[in-house]
Amino acid sequence: MKINFTLNGQPVTVDTPANVTLLTLLRDNLGMTGTKDGCEVGECGACSVILDGKVVNSCMMMAPQANGRKITTIEGILDRDGGPNDLQRAFVEHGAVQCGYCTPGMIMASEALLARTLTPTEEEARNAIAGNLCRCTGYQQIIEAIEDTAALRRKASITLKNSREVIQ
Amino acid sequence: MNRHTRHQFVGNPINNVDGFSKVMGKARYVGDMNLPGMLFTQVLRSPIPHGRIIKLDTAPALKILGVLAVVTSDDFVDHSLFGWPVKDSYALAYQKVRYVGDPIAAVAAETMQAARAGMQAIVLELEELPGVFDLRKALDVDAPFISANPEKGIPNLAETYIVHNGNPEEIIKACPVILDESYFFHHQEHAYLETEGVLAIPNDDGGVTVYSNDQSPFINRNNLCMMLGLPIQKVRVIQPPTGGSFGGKDDINYQNSAQVARLALITKRPVRITLTREESLIASYKREAMEIKINLGAEKDGTLRAAMAQITADSGAYPSETPLAAWRGTMHVAGAYRYDAVTVDTKVVYTNNSYSGAFRGFGNTEAAAAIEQAVDEIAERLNIDPVEFRLKNALRQGDRTMTGNIIKEEVGLTECIQWVRDQSDWKSKRAVYAQQKTEKEIRRGIGIGCYFHGSGLGGEGDDVATCTVKIENDYSVTISSGLTDYGQGSRTIHTLIAAESLGVQPERIQMLRPDTQTSIDSGPTVASRSTMISGNAMRVAGQNVSRMLTAVAAEVMHCKPEQVTRVGESFLGPDEEPLSFNQIVDHANKMGMPLSANGTWGMPKIEWHFDKGSGVPYFCYSYGAVVAEVEVDRRIGTTEVLGIWMAHDGGTIIFPQGARGQMLGGIAQGLGYALMEEMKYNQGYPQAINFDNLLIPTALDVPHMEGKFVETNFKEGPYGAKNLAEPMMIGITPAIANAIAQATGRRGRVVPITFEGTLLGHDLTPPAPIKDIRMVLGFKV
Repeated sequence: MKINFTLNGQPVTVDTPANVTLLTLLRDNLGMTGTKDGCEVGECGACSVILDGKVVNSCMMMAPQANGRKITTIEGILDRDGGPNDLQRAFVEHGAVQCGYCTPGMIMASEALLARTLTPTEEEARNAIAGNLCRCTGYQQIIEAIEDTAALRRKASITLKNSREVIQ
Repeated sequence: MNRHTRHQFVGNPINNVDGFSKVMGKARYVGDMNLPGMLFTQVLRSPIPHGRIIKLDTAPALKILGVLAVVTSDDFVDHSLFGWPVKDSYALAYQKVRYVGDPIAAVAAETMQAARAGMQAIVLELEELPGVFDLRKALDVDAPFISANPEKGIPNLAETYIVHNGNPEEIIKACPVILDESYFFHHQEHAYLETEGVLAIPNDDGGVTVYSNDQSPFINRNNLCMMLGLPIQKVRVIQPPTGGSFGGKDDINYQNSAQVARLALITKRPVRITLTREESLIASYKREAMEIKINLGAEKDGTLRAAMAQITADSGAYPSETPLAAWRGTMHVAGAYRYDAVTVDTKVVYTNNSYSGAFRGFGNTEAAAAIEQAVDEIAERLNIDPVEFRLKNALRQGDRTMTGNIIKEEVGLTECIQWVRDQSDWKSKRAVYAQQKTEKEIRRGIGIGCYFHGSGLGGEGDDVATCTVKIENDYSVTISSGLTDYGQGSRTIHTLIAAESLGVQPERIQMLRPDTQTSIDSGPTVASRSTMISGNAMRVAGQNVSRMLTAVAAEVMHCKPEQVTRVGESFLGPDEEPLSFNQIVDHANKMGMPLSANGTWGMPKIEWHFDKGSGVPYFCYSYGAVVAEVEVDRRIGTTEVLGIWMAHDGGTIIFPQGARGQMLGGIAQGLGYALMEEMKYNQGYPQAINFDNLLIPTALDVPHMEGKFVETNFKEGPYGAKNLAEPMMIGITPAIANAIAQATGRRGRVVPITFEGTLLGHDLTPPAPIKDIRMVLGFKV
């Protein structure tokens, strides 16, 4: 069946079987393998994508449910120059990446949190990634990366606000 | 002391060299590789724990649309027999199935759906045999036989090991305080986030190229040559980015690799297998279950005198690495303490509980958890503080270990214990928690666990690696090692060591991925040997090329090589006019001098006498201590870990970010093992088959952790480094167990420590339905 949705800011139309998950559509039909397959029962979070601003497990959604929605995958998270953004750099700098298999999902869960608030408490940050399993890091470095990025973005948004005020 | 030496790159902050490709989602794992015409694989697996294969007819599968080939053990040399140290495993079951999930046949098809339909069309008849499900009953006279050819000639006995260091029995008898307890450990699942995967591509010459997310591509290559009957030149194994392993991706991937390699050779098409999480949990090997009996004797002043231990390790259906893990457990089971005499008696037995193999800590995870609980128990009987008791008995440089060998290297254990004691505020917390009223339902406790961990393979075999360094015409540097990086950061460590020994910026260096055609066989990637053994080989290779560069510089500057010094990347001669690295490389090219070299390094030889149970098991050891603080709610049976403090003596730290990652990640794995990861078997059937019932720690289960590296100097190591990745999880479980014992006043002596085990003494969870497992394996129920 034909569905239309916005994928990483671009409108797309795809012909998808009705009985496949969004994860399968992304990985097998669209060749976007940055989103990982970890358990297919919605427990590990490796397949996390952002759907209309909320983080979801793409293995728990059927592809046709994407119709008319806005979806962001790891391929849509990047800086203006095409390189890593501030959160992705913070992940690397804090050692929040080891084997890297949970990392795309962790980035999506973290971006969804930071879109909601730039002042997350440690508890909020831990809750935000509680649906994403990581077997390598022990999570502490990921929390640090989120907190650092939040601080950076707070500063940037204050700067942005100030410069707007100057312009006005 | 190395800690006072400044290095240019070693020990300085640097990011993981693979970090950016991973955070961008660009790293391509096996499951991300798709080739035109690629076939998919579905494996027929045993639905029962033990049985004879009466009928196996694959012809109906070939009639399914899209199915191109099916293989069984008949398609391999010697029916796909492989295995080390005990050769008693099969890539596909031969004559018998020995565990639930045992692979029987593999189907290659155009789609996953066709492969699954093909697998379901295979006619399989099994005669169910009685099984062995309790390691304590494996050697009973009436136990059913599992292996056709047990190594020792005794049914269900895979291997035995001993330590014979004096006569502890007499000493213990005479001791005023003794302890005689038994500790049990259930299986543990590695739970790497990426499941096992292999892609096999047929070559024009009748050979095959294999991308496998294993740990040891050369062992995989050698097994493939043996099972496929191909010469070394025709089998190439390449290691792609690997999503975690922790010891767990070797034998299972040797099985997967053999299956898809044969299917690729038959179909002349690329063939890929990626296990589903359920398949991975059911079919892959685990940390072995273990029973450890410990007998200790101490003086009234708290001096430990002697220890006796008996270990029974459950290798399951196939030996895999369980014998060697049990050997490592045997070498450590009396802990990092001084004794007058120690004996250990270890048996590795077959059962029908899955199969077991390597997992981080490799036998010492259980050994340390047992002895550290035992030491706490005897300290309690003596009414001595557990920290003080350990400080009194802890190994120091020049002491003899439990195996009787003298420790020649520096020992950071005491410093580790003191740091975790002070940092955790041990003294006041221990005293306050001891005063809690007995009727209080929410109770706190604080506990300590220590460990020592032999460096490298030790008595398991020769411990040698070879690395290569090559300077390219564009002034970049290509390096390679035969050991793999499955997430632990060894590619960054090798880059740093090459930069240091070559005197060039790490940015110039590109590390190749292990490839059996371009890198040099350096043994298995196990035992935390990458930094120490391969890192040292990289240092030697870098120094060899550095000498070449100096020779070229001397020629350009018309001086002797010893007159050449380095300033950053540049070369300085007697006239003090610097020549850049690029100029030297250009000149070498003009001279026609290739700037490349190998470097080989091996651990100094030691000898363990397996028959006598004496000798030197390891050349050196790393050490550490952990304090855990817990809160137990006795009403609902939950344990929350409030804090972990850990100190590790791993010699010089080469890649600080990576070392910290190993520590914090190791703590999380230890916490999961201690409290929640119940990988149990009921009559051979796994009781957890996905992450909905196998719980591993989430971000909410792990407390804030504080760690320290006590950097002693191991003068043989690369820039003074020792091992650190494996030992990181060893001290966590006993520290938590000892904290729970203080909080509750009870000790279950079973890991994981659950509400049922510790407080009730029986399981509340009913057995998992067998039909669920069979359904997941594709059987009609």
